[in-house]
Amino acid sequence: MGILVGLVGFWLRQNTKLSIVEISAWLTLGAGLILPRLGSDGFLLGLICTSVSYVVMSSRERISTRKEMVIVSATCALVVYYGQNVLVGIGGRLGTFAALSVLFFNLARDYLKRRYDHDYGNHYS
Amino acid sequence: MWQNNLLIFVPLMVICLELLLPSLENAGRRVIVSLVVISFWTALRSHQQDWRRVTLASLTSLVGAVITFVLATRFQLGPMVASGLVGVVGGRLLPEDRQLQLYLGAFVGMSSAVRFPHFAHLVLAGALGGLLWELLEASWSGVGGRLGTLAASAVLIVLLLSGGGW
Repeated sequence: MGILVGLVGFWLRQNTKLSIVEISAWLTLGAGLILPRLGSDGFLLGLICTSVSYVVMSSRERISTRKEMVIVSATCALVVYYGQNVLVGIGGRLGTFAALSVLFFNLARDYLKRRYDHDYGNHYS
Repeated sequence: MWQNNLLIFVPLMVICLELLLPSLENAGRRVIVSLVVISFWTALRSHQQDWRRVTLASLTSLVGAVITFVLATRFQLGPMVASGLVGVVGGRLLPEDRQLQLYLGAFVGMSSAVRFPHFAHLVLAGALGGLLWELLEASWSGVGGRLGTLAASAVLIVLLLSGGGW
């Protein structure tokens, strides 16, 4: 569900003139209205989708492709799932989880890119 | 300066304390409060503040926080629907910078009523969100969730300084 919201948000960001606040707010509104009614896990799904809607607010430099959005959305879903019991009741908690996911992904991507460049350079030198 | 950026790390410090060092919570609180005071001091000294901009940002964030909190708690819409509504309406009516500040405030307003038994503390956290927005303009640029982290910092700072826990 988180990945789906991430992909929808990514598509909206690429193909509409909505601002990032509007995109995130519509996704949050949809998640808040629909998912908590789906049963016992609905509220958790709502939290995951809301947090992913904040990931969607990332700049194109931070998340540039659909594949990257899928990876960060999945990471964010895991962070929300395992972080359910921290910062309970603190506003901005889901945004913090989203930011952690984006920063973690960016660090990992930059590290892998540097390593790849290093290996590639050695191979052909 | 790196000291300014410490303010955005407040939620992460609290998460570390909650997860890794729960036994050191009291000492940890004192350390975080000290870091917050030092960071504010250096940030306010090192920046040439345009106080009109700071005031407008604080007011916008405060409005977002209050409306979201009232919608979520008094009208019982819940934090997700309330913040979504504020974001959608703000996105239609305001220019981009103000939208972001209002949405930041909406994140502050998503706090539980248990955390903010005194409404004045929520108002303070909302205004502080706008101040942090101006002070930490360059931190974590382009990171989705940055607004939420600033909001969590504002909420935690107010809770810590008012003597409450997190």
